[in-house]
Amino acid sequence: MAIPKVQKLFQKTLFGVFSLFGLIGLSTSVLCVYTVDTHLSAEYESNSKDIAKTIADSSVDILLNRDLATLQSLIDQFVEIQGINYIYITDETGVFLAHTFVPGIPEVIREGDPSNTATVQRSLPGMGDFVEVGSPILAGVGGAVHVGMDTGLVALKIQRAIGQQIYLISIVFVVGVFAAVWFVNLAARPLGELLAYAVALARDGEKAPPSESLLRRNDEAGQLARLLLHCAGFTDADNERGLAAPGEAQ
Amino acid sequence: MSQMHGRVSKRDLIRYGLAGGLAMPWFAAPRALAQGQGSSLPSGVTDAAFQLGMSAAFSGPSRGLGIELYRGASAYFTAVNNGGGVGGRRISLTIYDDGYQPDPAVKNTLKLMLEDRVFLLFGYVGTPTVTRVLPVLKKFQDQNTYLFFPFTGAQPQRQPPYGDFAFNLRASYAQETKGLVDNFLRVGRRRIAVFYQADAYGRSGWAGVRKALDQHGERIIGEATYRRGQKFTGTLRAQVEMLKTSKPDAVICVGAYAACAAFVRDAVNLGLQVPIANLSFVGSENLLKLLTEEREDSRQYTDLLVNSQVVPSYEDVSIPAVKEYRELMQRYDPEPPAGLVRESYTPFPYSFVSLEGFLNAKLLVEILHRLGDQPSRQRLESAIFSVRDFDLGIGEQVSFSPERRQGLQRVYYTVVNEGRFVTLDDWEAKFPA
Repeated sequence: MAIPKVQKLFQKTLFGVFSLFGLIGLSTSVLCVYTVDTHLSAEYESNSKDIAKTIADSSVDILLNRDLATLQSLIDQFVEIQGINYIYITDETGVFLAHTFVPGIPEVIREGDPSNTATVQRSLPGMGDFVEVGSPILAGVGGAVHVGMDTGLVALKIQRAIGQQIYLISIVFVVGVFAAVWFVNLAARPLGELLAYAVALARDGEKAPPSESLLRRNDEAGQLARLLLHCAGFTDADNERGLAAPGEAQ
Repeated sequence: MSQMHGRVSKRDLIRYGLAGGLAMPWFAAPRALAQGQGSSLPSGVTDAAFQLGMSAAFSGPSRGLGIELYRGASAYFTAVNNGGGVGGRRISLTIYDDGYQPDPAVKNTLKLMLEDRVFLLFGYVGTPTVTRVLPVLKKFQDQNTYLFFPFTGAQPQRQPPYGDFAFNLRASYAQETKGLVDNFLRVGRRRIAVFYQADAYGRSGWAGVRKALDQHGERIIGEATYRRGQKFTGTLRAQVEMLKTSKPDAVICVGAYAACAAFVRDAVNLGLQVPIANLSFVGSENLLKLLTEEREDSRQYTDLLVNSQVVPSYEDVSIPAVKEYRELMQRYDPEPPAGLVRESYTPFPYSFVSLEGFLNAKLLVEILHRLGDQPSRQRLESAIFSVRDFDLGIGEQVSFSPERRQGLQRVYYTVVNEGRFVTLDDWEAKFPA
């Protein structure tokens, strides 16, 4: 007696499991992007503001001494920090006293208002996208320090975080698929046997009972097997003789 | 001069420790050694030698500066040592390579001061390096370790808060740039642009140009920068294009020879036909070599060059110190420091940089003589302040005082003629408006 595969019954279940899995993966990724983006951006902006303030505070004496070489040396050290892409310092009249731009100060910055220390988004041709924070020197009467943070770096970190998450989810997904298929096959096997028996019974009026293991099952498949057996005309004596099934079918 | 070495190895330290351990507690051995092997002399001095410390560029695109500065000083120190030293003490140099980078310069300085315990620091190269080293000297100011005659004309070691820890021989970048600006404006070239290294050195020169122009009611008409470490093989066309848009009458470069030579090459190739000036730090001979070697049409790249110098021309043998320099360079032909120079380098028989190193060494020897029989770091200041109207042999008297921590003030201007730098006498004729 060939045992047919039971697929249709579980296809929707598998589809539902996979859909739910995808939904969870997608929603956690979106949440992850949002969280990493928000936190990283806030952290970088906060750090940049701290750096701008530190430079502004420590620049006062240097500026008063008109020692621009030391001022340049100071900002050169800060620009080595990861994520900080450029720094420039202007005096109270807007003249650029020190900066880290190569090959020169971008036009958009040169034409901007250096006294404005509010946080701004900048897109500099050939350089990329930046968030620029500022800090006044001596409440603005000494000029201002501006620090440009590379948003590309934040994007890169987000990509890495998402990549890691997708990697993890993919592994869990693959393991989950194999596990689901295995469980489904496990659940489908008695039903397949039952189906094969029912088909044989309907086609040939087969008198041979289903397998003993099926009849001994304590679940719905076992109950159905015993019910089919009963419908096929097997008596309780038959049952007691060779097919001692548990209580309900008797 | 005694054997020069690049580093104090662990093996040396172990050897000293073991040797000392025979006579005294082992942990005291290195210190006692540094303090003159049991004598009352301070660290860095023994009865046999003065130990000096040097950190400079011996690798990378600017290695020619460190090598030539060392060679010039080495020629004079060798002559002194061969003549019996200073009061019977030989002059010995502990040398490290910083590649013209600030962080290695700081590390080398700490090593020289705290481990090697040298008597003084001598012959450092570069503004970005020296600027970062100065706070180290201030931090350990109780040790009275001074920096003598760094190869930079920047302001930080000439003024508070770090001016007390260094002594300069050469004129400043402010003096060099002022001279260049004044002369350009005098011949009617008022639109001055600046090409400079994006660091403390470049900013120092930029500030000098700005200040000098400001005194004439002018401003910098255009500016472009490059990153330290730029090689001659790299392109600087973007910088040239930036400056071209400002239509300058002249460009002042504040950089090292590899970058400045690349800039001159690209400027000429892109049709920027204006005088291009370089400061003394550039290393004129290395600049000229890059612009002329393997070229048949090199004149177009060198015709409009004008380089400021802080020492007289080494071609002028009528100057006593130049004559002495040439004789000693010829006699000893100092090799680049063994073990530190790993890239190919062909030394120049004579150069402005090695002449400066020579003069630095000559003045330092004079100061060491003035320390007398009991040299100490504490007496270094008084020794150098006793230098008044000292004749170094270049026609300019050298004086130091608490208010005057720079020995020479004069700036020279040179142009290329027949493949070598010669003194520029007539700006109007060379660079007509």
